[in-house]
Amino acid sequence: MADAFQVLLIGVVVGALYGLVALGFGLIMRIMKFINIAQGSFIILGGFICYWLVTIWHFDPYLSIPIVMLAMFIVGLILYRLLFSPLLKYPQAEMRLDKSLLITFGVVWILDNLEILIWTPNSRSVIPSYGYGTINIFGASLSYTGIIGLGLAILAAAVLHIILTRTYFGKHVRAATEDAVAAGLSGVNVQRTYLISCGIAVALSGLAGTVIVTSYSVTPGGGMSWLLTAMVVVTLAGSDNMNFMIPAGIILGVIQSASTLFISPAYQQPIALIIFLIIILFRPQGLFSKRVRVH
Amino acid sequence: MLVMILVPLLANLGTGIMNQLVTLFIYILLAQSWNIIGGYTGQINLGIAAFFGCSVMITHFMWVAGIPIIVSVLVASLSTIILAIIIGIPTLRLKGMYFAVGTLALAQAIQVIMQNIFNRSIQTRGDYVQAYNINWRYYLGLAIVVIVLVAVYFIRKSKLGIALVAIREDEQAAQVTGVNTFKYKVISLLISAFIAGLAGGVYAYFRLYFYYTSDIFGLTWTFSAIMAVVIGGAGTLLGPVFGSIFLVILGYIFSLTLGQANLIVFGFLFILVMLFMPQGLMGGVNLFRQWISTWSRKSHNETGENI
Repeated sequence: MADAFQVLLIGVVVGALYGLVALGFGLIMRIMKFINIAQGSFIILGGFICYWLVTIWHFDPYLSIPIVMLAMFIVGLILYRLLFSPLLKYPQAEMRLDKSLLITFGVVWILDNLEILIWTPNSRSVIPSYGYGTINIFGASLSYTGIIGLGLAILAAAVLHIILTRTYFGKHVRAATEDAVAAGLSGVNVQRTYLISCGIAVALSGLAGTVIVTSYSVTPGGGMSWLLTAMVVVTLAGSDNMNFMIPAGIILGVIQSASTLFISPAYQQPIALIIFLIIILFRPQGLFSKRVRVH
Repeated sequence: MLVMILVPLLANLGTGIMNQLVTLFIYILLAQSWNIIGGYTGQINLGIAAFFGCSVMITHFMWVAGIPIIVSVLVASLSTIILAIIIGIPTLRLKGMYFAVGTLALAQAIQVIMQNIFNRSIQTRGDYVQAYNINWRYYLGLAIVVIVLVAVYFIRKSKLGIALVAIREDEQAAQVTGVNTFKYKVISLLISAFIAGLAGGVYAYFRLYFYYTSDIFGLTWTFSAIMAVVIGGAGTLLGPVFGSIFLVILGYIFSLTLGQANLIVFGFLFILVMLFMPQGLMGGVNLFRQWISTWSRKSHNETGENI
């Protein structure tokens, strides 16, 4: 019983992180219909920036979050200006999707090799002085870093939700998502909206990177598996459903964590693939979407 | 053509250049494989490495067990079709990112599984190493490349090829005009997987040792294939061939001069081509041909007026 509860807790903590990773990926996909394969590499980049801040300037890893997020926000602006805005000339959504997939695949290639060049292929992690502390919840132990990660993921999702639903900028974003041309005609600066939301999405990957570098470790080229998890979570939640990213992530996390009771933990990736295939076979609109998507 | 056959007989080029040529053949095969599904049909496949790697493993073990190399290559290539069916049938029914995600997830999952099963380097029997002769690898690679190029040419000319291009141009319109888009997409994935399997067979025959199993399932193969197609020109017969030649030559130069950073250069090159030359090298060739024809017509007209 205690074992099962422990597994559940670990699944929830990992799953919230999956949700956080999926949030950034899903944001770009939802708003601009671009697929950013490089999101995983951005996470690793964010993790390494945090690693540098901690090892060189002796920051506390959680206090470095604003700096990491700001740096990644700027990376996101550059990404949009250089790579995504030229793709807006293609009228069909499918064409944009394919082109952005390919272009960001090139970005993955550049970033992964650049990260190897700068930080060597070893995996790095940052452990704050309180990193080894755990608390007991009904006989199951949970590390402080895990709790902080869980809190940050839920906080980020909540803040994003408030920004999208309660602010003027969020209104612009939703208008541009529904119909970019009509939004542009009614006075929304679509380019600027896209630019800033791309920045926010990449900044979210910086936050995810910080959480990963403190509770797990980052390896150059390891971004791909995080990205795939994000894609599976987006499929689970339904791609037009930003509010359910964290719950969908938690579902995936718990399933993966429960599977370690039966088979080796090394096979997490095949399990994610199987879940992905089952979802698209039986419920392609996602677990939480009510309406059937008409493509 | 004749030159290509006679080269190893007449001139002893040395192992270095022969190795590069066999590598070139593998790249051409991978590029054609991606060209069928990505160039003609317009479906982005990020999992070529899975088909390639599985074929490498199967060919290797069958060949080491004493089965003739041609039979092993064919059986391995056919077995990649099973993988293609597993991933293709669920994902190709849907539009959007699902096919790309499914293939990428397949490649990663198989890489992880294989890494866990074969956690040591894979080796060959001693007598196979002694009998190693690069010329045979060259001929096998050359033969398969020629067969594949001819096959792709006829596929493009056939009804199948027309259906594939129709799907790329406008899937909905193709569906309305009576093309069973799902069926043709699956067929194109099967052909693509088979060609990737052939590339894997040549690679298994070419390399006898595999130090890290993860290398043959790595993202590098997928990226090289996509890169060769995009640089050469997607959806053309000769584009991927030119792209592969370009890649092998540049790779040789850059790895000598830039060392570790050479891979990054390819990423930048890829993005620049995507942004500014969406038709690739073949697009450039076509532009040049157009320019020549308009120029000659103009000069012809001018001379006509003068007379």
